[in-house]
Amino acid sequence: MVPVNYYIILSAILFTIGAVGVLIRRNPLVIFMSVELMLNAANLAMVAFSSVYKSFSGQIFVFFVIAVAAAEVAVGLALIVEIFKTKHNINVDEMNSLKG
Amino acid sequence: MFNSTTFLAILPEILILVVAMLILVAEPFWKAEQRRNVGWLTAGGLFAVMIISLLFGRPGDPITVLGGMVRFDWLGFFFKMLFLFAGAATSLLLMDNDRVGHRGEAYLLLLASLLGMDLMAASADLVMLYLAIETTSIPLYILSGFMLADEHSTEAGFKYLLFGAMSSAVMLYGFSLLFGFAGTTNIYELKTVLAAGPNTLVMVLGIIFLLLVGLGFKVSVVPFHFWAPDVYQGAPTPVAGFLSTASKAAGFAVLTRLFFVAFPGFSQSWTLIFAVIATVTMTVGNLLALPQTNVKRLLAYSSIAHAGYVMIGVVSFSVLGAASVVFYLAAYIVTNLLAFGIVMAVSRIIGSDDVKDYSGLSRRNPGLALMMLAAFLSLAGMPPFGGFVAKVFVFAAGVQAGYVWLVIVGILNSIIGVYYYLNVMKYVYLFRMPNEDEEKHPVPLTRPYTIALVILALGVILVGTLFAPWFSWSDMAAMNLF
Amino acid sequence: MTVDLILFLILALVSVSTALGMLLSRNTVYSALFLVLNFVTVAVFYLLLGAPFIAMAQVTVYAGAIMVLFLFVIMLLGTEVLPASNILPWQKPLAGGLAAVLAVEAIYLLLVRARSVAQVTSPDVAINSMDNLREMGKVLFSTYLLPFEVTSILLLVAMVGAIVLTKKEKA
Repeated sequence: MVPVNYYIILSAILFTIGAVGVLIRRNPLVIFMSVELMLNAANLAMVAFSSVYKSFSGQIFVFFVIAVAAAEVAVGLALIVEIFKTKHNINVDEMNSLKG
Repeated sequence: MFNSTTFLAILPEILILVVAMLILVAEPFWKAEQRRNVGWLTAGGLFAVMIISLLFGRPGDPITVLGGMVRFDWLGFFFKMLFLFAGAATSLLLMDNDRVGHRGEAYLLLLASLLGMDLMAASADLVMLYLAIETTSIPLYILSGFMLADEHSTEAGFKYLLFGAMSSAVMLYGFSLLFGFAGTTNIYELKTVLAAGPNTLVMVLGIIFLLLVGLGFKVSVVPFHFWAPDVYQGAPTPVAGFLSTASKAAGFAVLTRLFFVAFPGFSQSWTLIFAVIATVTMTVGNLLALPQTNVKRLLAYSSIAHAGYVMIGVVSFSVLGAASVVFYLAAYIVTNLLAFGIVMAVSRIIGSDDVKDYSGLSRRNPGLALMMLAAFLSLAGMPPFGGFVAKVFVFAAGVQAGYVWLVIVGILNSIIGVYYYLNVMKYVYLFRMPNEDEEKHPVPLTRPYTIALVILALGVILVGTLFAPWFSWSDMAAMNLF
Repeated sequence: MTVDLILFLILALVSVSTALGMLLSRNTVYSALFLVLNFVTVAVFYLLLGAPFIAMAQVTVYAGAIMVLFLFVIMLLGTEVLPASNILPWQKPLAGGLAAVLAVEAIYLLLVRARSVAQVTSPDVAINSMDNLREMGKVLFSTYLLPFEVTSILLLVAMVGAIVLTKKEKA
């Protein structure tokens, strides 16, 4: 028996690591991976709560989140490839053509 | 669980899907140079969806259907009609965009995004809400990055996607804590559970903060606004117009429903947070709009400022407040689409978004200049246009709720707004083209532009003069929240 | 200390260290592989929590499809190793502040609320029966039918989007 709080704390730690990754890394691929980690942390909390309440809502929510993440990643990676094709560089610091 | 009400509740969504399927089937049969006709099909289809929904799909008493996923009420219905209108206008404006208009996929993505918005306005469950938000956003990420040969566009698409994914991940964490806290994902059940829980203010405030990150991004309020100017500038202009109107309104539809329905017990706290956000948003948006010389960026900052005005209505947390939010968004959608439409029509001929290149526009196309005057005066909040009445209602709601200081900030900001909107009109009406005869450089409009712009201009005037029916509808929608 | 708890702590250690490995690794391929490992440990947590279906979806979709796509793109672009990055001045304090806030939240949960929350259901009841899956299927296709249908549209959109974004734009 593991208290549900342990799971929530773990998910909070994973979420924080993801959020920190989004803020400090400059490679869009790693930033994107950090976002996936944040989604996973949210999912872990959801499944943990789901088992507390003995309801399927949380699990089904996670199922949908996984589907959405797949769609988002497909689009995001297509955009990254496209940017790389024109710029030969994907550093976010150099994505500064839009300023005014 | 299925009966006629179930289908009526999602009638507009089903019909949008039908239009989307029609496009998928019809597009390959058109020759490449006729592909822009898909735009007529989309606009006509959406118009038909609107008519059919208005005739047969009107809601009765508020009811939650489809396993508690969607709420069938006037609030959702009114927003759905607004989105359909914005979608039809946007597809007309897309048609003569040389880079996007001839590609059938663009219209399909627009429709998918509209479907998401409709569901956003109606969702009564966090699961549905999350999916609806993503269904709205993902097609818009693609549309923003649609012009592949243009690095600004792909960059805009990617920036939008990255910030969007981040903020929705934070919001999702908020959803999961909310579920853990209350044991239900239904917004209407959350209210009862949250009201019963003792001394939970800290937790709820934490959750509210997480939710605000996601929704604040969608409605682009400060401090979650930084993506907007870059994305609006880089994205194809019709898409930017759609982002700044329908997408923003959908965000507000969710914001109002979620906070008014699920967190009424904590209104003391969140109205204060929202009041601060409204103040900062109005001020930052207007001050940053002042030095802009690119019209698209100016409209981007002005749309941030407008999100601040709408927030005053949310802060009021009353029937009048909610009604004023709905009314403001209706007026704002029409006005801002008109403004963006004009920018598109002009930049298509003169190839620039710089304010200086608007010199002498009143001589190059007097009708267009007149419509531009209407749009910008309405944005500035001048009578007799829609923007004026909308601002009056929002400020009235603020005063009624006791936020006089906030309303004063709003009025001061409107005055700043008048300055930069009229500054653009100064170029259009008072300045001349240097060393050129304007008569020799007309700015002709194609038919889709003419139709869309005239309808939108009439809308701006109608909302401003015959506002009584619009307001009573907004009021009816707002009543559903309490 | 029960067996469950020991198992949990070991897995938690693995999952936190792989997450940190993803964050700190200078090689993007290593980051991706660390993340795969992290997703697999999270899948094991799902099994422990009595959610076998989600655990399998996690392994196939997340660790399988999504991360393979990531690895594929990294190798396609040839951007495995990155030069030392110049971190913007405001980012470190911001990241530190955010980490502090969340750490305080975690400690608060651990110390203050730990005693008041229920225990997680015993896993052997949930995993060892097909009822779990059957019941979940029933809920998914009745209550959550509309979201399920919307997901199909979303995946169609993603497909169209991926094609549109990689096809050459005709002038």
